[in-house]
Amino acid sequence: MIEFHLDPSSGVATYLQLVQQVHQALQLGLLEPGDRLPTAQQVVASLAINPNTVLKAYRDLEREGLVRARPGLGTFVVGRLPRTDPAAQARFRRSMTSWLRSARDAGLSPDEIEAIYRTAFRDCFTEGVA
Amino acid sequence: MTRFAWLQSRTQTLTVAAILAALAIAAAITGVQLAHLYNIDVRHCQSSCDLALSQWLSRQTFLQHTLDILSRVAPALIGIFWGAPLLAREFETGTFRLAWTQSVSRSRWVLTKLGMGALATVVVAGALTLTITWWYRAIDLASSNQYSLFDQRDIAPIGYALFAFAVGALIGAVIRRTVPAMATTLGVYVFARIATTIWIRPNLMSPLRKFLALAGASPTSPVQLGVGMHNGGHLQLFAKGDGPEGSWTLTSHLVNSAGHQLSPAQISTFLHQYCPNVGPPPLATKPGQGVARVIGPDAGRACLEQVAKTFHLVVTYQPASRYWTFQWLETGIFAVLALTAAAGCYSWVTRRAS
Amino acid sequence: MTTAIETETLGKRYGRRWALTDCTLSIPGGRVVGLVGPNGAGKTTLLHLAVGLLQPSAGSISVLGGVPAAGPEQLARIGFLAQESPTYARLTVGQHLQMGQWLNPSWDTDFAAQRVAELGLDVGQRAGTLSGGQRAQLALTLAVAKRPELLVLDEPVAALDPLARREFLQTLMEVVAIHGVSVVLSSHLIADLERVCDYLVVLVAGRVALTGDVDELLACHHRLTGPRRDVSDLPGNQSVIEESHTEKQSTLLVRTTDPILDPAWTVTPVTLDDVVLAYMRQARDGGPRSTNHLAVAR
Repeated sequence: MIEFHLDPSSGVATYLQLVQQVHQALQLGLLEPGDRLPTAQQVVASLAINPNTVLKAYRDLEREGLVRARPGLGTFVVGRLPRTDPAAQARFRRSMTSWLRSARDAGLSPDEIEAIYRTAFRDCFTEGVA
Repeated sequence: MTRFAWLQSRTQTLTVAAILAALAIAAAITGVQLAHLYNIDVRHCQSSCDLALSQWLSRQTFLQHTLDILSRVAPALIGIFWGAPLLAREFETGTFRLAWTQSVSRSRWVLTKLGMGALATVVVAGALTLTITWWYRAIDLASSNQYSLFDQRDIAPIGYALFAFAVGALIGAVIRRTVPAMATTLGVYVFARIATTIWIRPNLMSPLRKFLALAGASPTSPVQLGVGMHNGGHLQLFAKGDGPEGSWTLTSHLVNSAGHQLSPAQISTFLHQYCPNVGPPPLATKPGQGVARVIGPDAGRACLEQVAKTFHLVVTYQPASRYWTFQWLETGIFAVLALTAAAGCYSWVTRRAS
Repeated sequence: MTTAIETETLGKRYGRRWALTDCTLSIPGGRVVGLVGPNGAGKTTLLHLAVGLLQPSAGSISVLGGVPAAGPEQLARIGFLAQESPTYARLTVGQHLQMGQWLNPSWDTDFAAQRVAELGLDVGQRAGTLSGGQRAQLALTLAVAKRPELLVLDEPVAALDPLARREFLQTLMEVVAIHGVSVVLSSHLIADLERVCDYLVVLVAGRVALTGDVDELLACHHRLTGPRRDVSDLPGNQSVIEESHTEKQSTLLVRTTDPILDPAWTVTPVTLDDVVLAYMRQARDGGPRSTNHLAVAR
């Protein structure tokens, strides 16, 4: 069973941190289908967070198809993370690299480039921002 | 709530009960002994009975003093140490916020604490006064007027203790600080007791009057009469008498044949006329020492004989037969005061928001 | 979900000073509600009114649909932890549990005993010799073991060291997870509440400055940074809570449910701390009754 931790200064919502930690555990193979996630009671007893936060995170994971809640038994891992096609990943990295090179050649500093990237990233994934 | 109120006061109640029990045992043992010795030494004395009596009276001095002090202070102590902290401590430490948010109403909380405290007070005061009155019975018979120990015997101390407890609880609830509440309770109690003793008790029933003749009176007889100076001032008449055996004398003063009390002017006139030779004493050895000093046997005696012919003494008193009536009346008064204080306490706690 | 606490223009006066004025709240049940505000803002007054330790001077309050402290039944539904966790110093831990059993018909003896054992408290130890954290835990046990529907806690962690603070909140959240009680807890530090609260009420100088669901509050408040400009020409659906300007730059805290469309603004996220402080400042500096006025009357 995994243990959650909380980074209060990260600016990321608590429930999202829990979701991300489950994703990471799945990726690293620490969690496999059939494993039981800690109960809300166990999580809040160790992290001192609102139980609703844990329930919200588990609901999100259930919506993603990664876990399923079995009443009276707990919440169990049922799926794996979708692996993106390596070819698609390579394609996006290539287009990103060429964009970065054009920006650099146009005279933008690394900080400017990063600022543009962060703003665009945030606008695109708004629900991921606290 | 009853069980919890007992839990809160358990230690102090049991401690007092233990002390009382020890006292009662000591009293029982020595009291029987004392009565026995009285029979042997005093009642059947052949000679020098005064000496036998005074020797007997000086026995058991430790217990005499202890019980005497207790009989005076116990009611006040109950009020200060049981009554004042009862509610004051809960307010002072904030525990009332814990108590008032359990599932009992404020009303039940305060009624239970008051009721149990009152019950304990009556039991303790009753046991104490019973012990003391019983132990002292032989001594009291031999040596004193029962009215002079009115507030230390029989049932009056129970009324005092109940009053002290209730008034302590009320003051504690209002002031909300334990030590100031204790001090204030002491003050209020002392005032109430003095006020009752001086102003109320003498007038609980109309006093009886008695006329006493002054013939044969002197500074040393039962009806005392004398003439002299106080502080080197004017010549004065001293006259004092007592009511019948065992009664409580309230006042005694000289009256003329019409039955009217004499004014200082009238006394002055009389003295000038009939007691001219009673002159000033030589230089007083200490200022403030008044003395009924008879100057020259003939002049003084003539003066006093004239006084006896012209005036007599009126004493007002409460007779011995009324003693128990007075006990019940005074206990009743303090019980009513206690009830009033308790009602005030209840009302204060339950009505006042916070 | 029932409403946990409902107030209608509630006010409380001490002598001539109004500790609470014109409070209208509808605090939902089934949540962990944080009541935050500076010292003297009226948090304790509001909580005491909710548990019946005080009577209103104006307006009305109802808790779980009933009148506070109306009778033993109402008292049994609410568990209260007063400031500084008062306990009977001369009674032992075990005797406190006895008290709970005798004075509360809904007392859960097994739960209380189990809780005390888990906390490592010695049942024979007098409460006066417990540490601050242990006393707070004992007081919490007393409040929870009567199985209330609502827990009201007045600055429960203010006097505790960081470890005791964390342990207290862990215990509290565990109780919420197991029993589903609604909780209202107050603090003058937002940091205490951020972890655990999902609903917020901000009190400043006896008035309600802000109330709402934490997630919603964070979603509809944004920090806008951009070149210096006059704020009066902002769209009507954006209300400015706080603004600060330098020669070249303006920074605003705005409340809006619509997306920010103006490209001149850089939108950055806000923390709960930012939002609460902004409303506290707004309440203190603006409004018909400033804190200064009350200080004089006091």
